[in-house]
Amino acid sequence: MTKSKSRSCDAAVSSALSADRRTVLKTLAAGAVTAVAAPYIRPASAAPTELRALMWEGYAVPEIVSAFEDKHKVKFSPTFFDGNSEAYNKLRVGGTKDFDLVQADGYWPGLYFREKLIRAIDYARIPNTANVYPVFQPDRYKLLTDQTSGEHFGVTWCWGSYGTTYNTAEVPKEKVQSIEVLFDPAYAGRLSTSARFEENIALTGILVATRMGTKDKPRPDGKPFNPYVLTDEELAEVEKLLIQQKPLLLTRYQDNTTLQQLLESGAIVAAPEFAQIYRVLVQKKMKGETDLDFAHQLVPKEGGLGWVDTWLVTSGVTDPGTLALCYDFIDTFLAPETIKKISLIAGTSATVDLRPISTPEEQKLYLMDRTEELSTMYMFDQPSSTEKWERVWSRMQAA
Amino acid sequence: MRGRFAPAIFLGIPSVFLVAMFVLPLLSMLVLSIWRTENYHIIQDFNLNNYRVLATETAYQTFLLRSLLMATAVSVICTVLAWPIAYGIILYGGRYRLLLSLAFAVPFLTGEVLRIIALQGLLGPIGLLNGVLMSLGAAPLRVIMYTNFASAIGLIYLYLPIVVTVIYLSLLNFDQRLIDAAKIFGASPARAFFEVTWPLNLFGTLIGFALCFIPCLSATLAPRFLGGPNGTLFGMAIAQQFAESGTWALGAAMGVVLFAVCVLLVAIVARLLDLRRTGFTGFGRG
Repeated sequence: MTKSKSRSCDAAVSSALSADRRTVLKTLAAGAVTAVAAPYIRPASAAPTELRALMWEGYAVPEIVSAFEDKHKVKFSPTFFDGNSEAYNKLRVGGTKDFDLVQADGYWPGLYFREKLIRAIDYARIPNTANVYPVFQPDRYKLLTDQTSGEHFGVTWCWGSYGTTYNTAEVPKEKVQSIEVLFDPAYAGRLSTSARFEENIALTGILVATRMGTKDKPRPDGKPFNPYVLTDEELAEVEKLLIQQKPLLLTRYQDNTTLQQLLESGAIVAAPEFAQIYRVLVQKKMKGETDLDFAHQLVPKEGGLGWVDTWLVTSGVTDPGTLALCYDFIDTFLAPETIKKISLIAGTSATVDLRPISTPEEQKLYLMDRTEELSTMYMFDQPSSTEKWERVWSRMQAA
Repeated sequence: MRGRFAPAIFLGIPSVFLVAMFVLPLLSMLVLSIWRTENYHIIQDFNLNNYRVLATETAYQTFLLRSLLMATAVSVICTVLAWPIAYGIILYGGRYRLLLSLAFAVPFLTGEVLRIIALQGLLGPIGLLNGVLMSLGAAPLRVIMYTNFASAIGLIYLYLPIVVTVIYLSLLNFDQRLIDAAKIFGASPARAFFEVTWPLNLFGTLIGFALCFIPCLSATLAPRFLGGPNGTLFGMAIAQQFAESGTWALGAAMGVVLFAVCVLLVAIVARLLDLRRTGFTGFGRG
């Protein structure tokens, strides 16, 4: 009996111990899960602590970013990309959850909106949008407005073309007024283009369509000519022309620093670019750091490529706090003093009218009186068939 | 018990690692290669069109041929350069042997991109070489600016340290007394080298060659930054599919072809050589 009681008592103790062990294990497990998940869980109403942007590196000016972080007590986490296709790929594979803001240019914001990668935005929440030039206002710049719903989904920010920067002592102005200059054997070995396949094919496409007389004729899709939507015949001609161009090129520059070195050293005399290096070189000339004179042809006579960089809010932004922070960020970056500072550093023209706070030299260099020319340019776009365009580019590279 | 489980543990962990980090990604690449892309969208329907494109489109064959030629030339040059360097360290390095061999690893302390960009600056139009030439009134050397020759220089610069290190390690484990024995039996230094040193370090040499050849075959950065308009190699073309053009399925098929080519080349070398006579000791006593 005693034995039995003792066993029963042992069982009770054991049971109690067992219960304790389970409790301890459960508590430990719950604690571990909480510890791991805590950084990712916060009440919807909590103020955001971080703003994540997928953007071009040149615009992330540390001084301005730090001021924004200090004012809003948030951490700004930028991720940089090079081309629109890279950003698009990132967004499509779940990036809408990883980024709050994204940048894009040309027709890309429209594609993002159609694919629900970005959300509609309210211009009334971004007062500085009122300062942009008329040509960038929604009634004239229609690439940031959904034509069916009338919703706006982006804010213009900086603009430019893929014009030709050239050494004025080596290349006469009349020659550079045409895209033909980039295919002129007289400059064999002294030309360069960027390594971007889309813009090389599109720019050559404008020349090809001009030569073939198809640019102003009715197009198969019933729309006006777009160098990013070329027919197979035009693409075949583009391929031939790009192959003919190859021996004329010293290289296809991968980055702006290389382009600057090539132009500054005199190794090349002309190259299409976004006018950023043109501005750097003109400023160096003004400071007496180079003897060479450079000019920039914004739009060739056949037509040129243009771009307008925009700020967009991803569809992953659903809580009001983060949306308000995104609006504040865009508004801060659109403030004339801020955008001027960034524009001077990045070497790009702003979509905000900065003439009242700029010198005459700055106004000229940053094309502040030439914004209307944007309406004559073909905006950067997605190729009609990346597969066909890739094949053209590969054949040219292998030729 | 411990003895029974030890092989399973010691072989199991690397096997799991290999399966997770190598076999599975390769399989996913294989699957992607039999799908297709359409304007940055992956369409999951089974087809072999990407392989048909690679088999019929001469552009990709040209890239592969260029890469094979480039990798062979660079690996041969690296091996030819590495042998005397490694042998010199062994023979004359004395107590500084380790230091000298470690010195060859110094470039690895910086990233590959940095090294290539530094080289671009050196070989470029305002680089050290052309800068000196131009300041002396001479024309710049076009052959080192954005050409396949410049790419080759870049690749040799990148991979020579690896080949030197591997051959050095092979020579370090080589019993030098065998050369003395050969000489005692009347062999000239050259004969002793070609009949003793070289064959018994052939396996190490082959490893060095392979560690140069295989990355050269898939090189991306050197041809991109140094190669110029005619410098596109197979690895760079693969990178284009995954980055700019978004034609991932074709890029995956190119990756599979590159892997198959590498395996085939290794198999050919293994078949042509009797590894037992090359200093390879991995077969055990059996």
